[in-house]
Amino acid sequence: MLRVDGLTISADRRPLVEGLAFDLAEAAITCIIGPSGCGKTSVLKWIAGVLPPELKATGTARLDGAPLAAPHAALAYQPQQDTLFPWLTIAENACLGLEVAGARRAAARNQVLPLFAPFGLAGHEDSFPDQLSGGMRQRAAFLRTMVQDSRFLLLDEPFSALDAVTRLKMQHWLCTRLTERPRGVLMVTHDLYEATQMADRVVVMSAQSGGIAADIPLTTPRSDRTEASLAKTRALLKSLLLEDPE
Amino acid sequence: MSQIRRALPSLCAAAAFLAAWQIYCAVSGVSPLVLPAPSDVALGLWINRTELALHAGTTLGVALLGFSLSVAFAFLTSVALHFVPLLRRSLFPLLVASQTVPIVALAPLMVLWFGFGLLPKVLLVILVTFFPVLVSLQAGYARLPLAYRDQLVSMGAGRWQVFRRAALPIARPHFFNGLRISATYAIVATIFAEYAGARRGLGIYILTAKNNFRADLVLAAVVLSATLTLLLLGALHLTDRATGRRHRRVADAAG
Repeated sequence: MLRVDGLTISADRRPLVEGLAFDLAEAAITCIIGPSGCGKTSVLKWIAGVLPPELKATGTARLDGAPLAAPHAALAYQPQQDTLFPWLTIAENACLGLEVAGARRAAARNQVLPLFAPFGLAGHEDSFPDQLSGGMRQRAAFLRTMVQDSRFLLLDEPFSALDAVTRLKMQHWLCTRLTERPRGVLMVTHDLYEATQMADRVVVMSAQSGGIAADIPLTTPRSDRTEASLAKTRALLKSLLLEDPE
Repeated sequence: MSQIRRALPSLCAAAAFLAAWQIYCAVSGVSPLVLPAPSDVALGLWINRTELALHAGTTLGVALLGFSLSVAFAFLTSVALHFVPLLRRSLFPLLVASQTVPIVALAPLMVLWFGFGLLPKVLLVILVTFFPVLVSLQAGYARLPLAYRDQLVSMGAGRWQVFRRAALPIARPHFFNGLRISATYAIVATIFAEYAGARRGLGIYILTAKNNFRADLVLAAVVLSATLTLLLLGALHLTDRATGRRHRRVADAAG
């Protein structure tokens, strides 16, 4: 289990996030939603160890009770943009995390290639990112993140750049992948529909207090969720977000 | 075919310029000692081709040596300045100041200090050509998207890995732009250095031809100098094309 305690993030001595504390369970999707500027992305970046130097943070992160110094092999971070390097092929991009961690190129390639088919990228191993559609690029980015085989995925609005139909397909696709190989996921999103459809738990951040406004578990299995069953939760989330000024 | 079509306007402009020059010389009755016609220059070039080739070969050799050393020096300096901000703050103003020294003043001093050999010429070429490469590399490193850096850092990459895996590929198109600018200076800088004192080279050839009132040979040497520069640019273009198929995609991403 990953535990964040007393996290305060400040910009120009003005607190953005204040005294944030939460647990991140393994094999569960936790979505963070909140108004723009509440510090969702900063929290994710802090956990990943890539908080910009102009933001100052205090707080602790613990993995199974032991202090965690990010970046850490147990965490894989995926920024908002897909950040596939345009000069690398999809296979080379997918190998990047393994190579950075010290794997030899051939070994990394051997590890990555069998995953191209389940990720719907078969035949595109030697394509370049600009030759793929938006959905395929996103799957390639997920492949690069997931092949690192970390216990937790930190995803910053992974579907925000996709059109509505591709987004729906990708949400479903990601849930399937996570069913096959469960991991703890912390996902920042702006989309109430996405949060309620995918998450096992929704954490609502408040821009006003800089902390957590609500922590809502979604216990209904994803496959049983319907518009009607989610309507109440969505209404609650909507009211929480509307109450909180940006 | 499309390349010929692209070059057609500039070829036509050059032909029109040469034709106007030729007609002016024929009609105005200007002395060939003052302004030789393009045909006189071409004739001078042909008659003296062996001697000119010898001098051009020397100039090209010096320019290539100076240019290569300059690129290596600029790259190493750019890496040092990238990794050591204190060095960047302290050294960069000095490097900028080095570019304000007029080459006309420096070339004779170089000969005075280092003699008529290879060293002063190579040093002068380095001084003139290293700065555009250095600045373009610096600009290229600065274009590294923050998201790329974050992605690599989150994977556990240190500064060197971020530099090698992302900053260098991002800087590649900028590097080649700097190389092109420097390449256009390399031949001219060599000629300047030879002009100040040399045993062989287009610079000393131009000086001798001028002293002998052979404007046609001065211009013939100028034509050769321009040709050498174009050859250097062409070689760079081919190198870029041959080695950078995948890197041409960087411009789209960084832009």
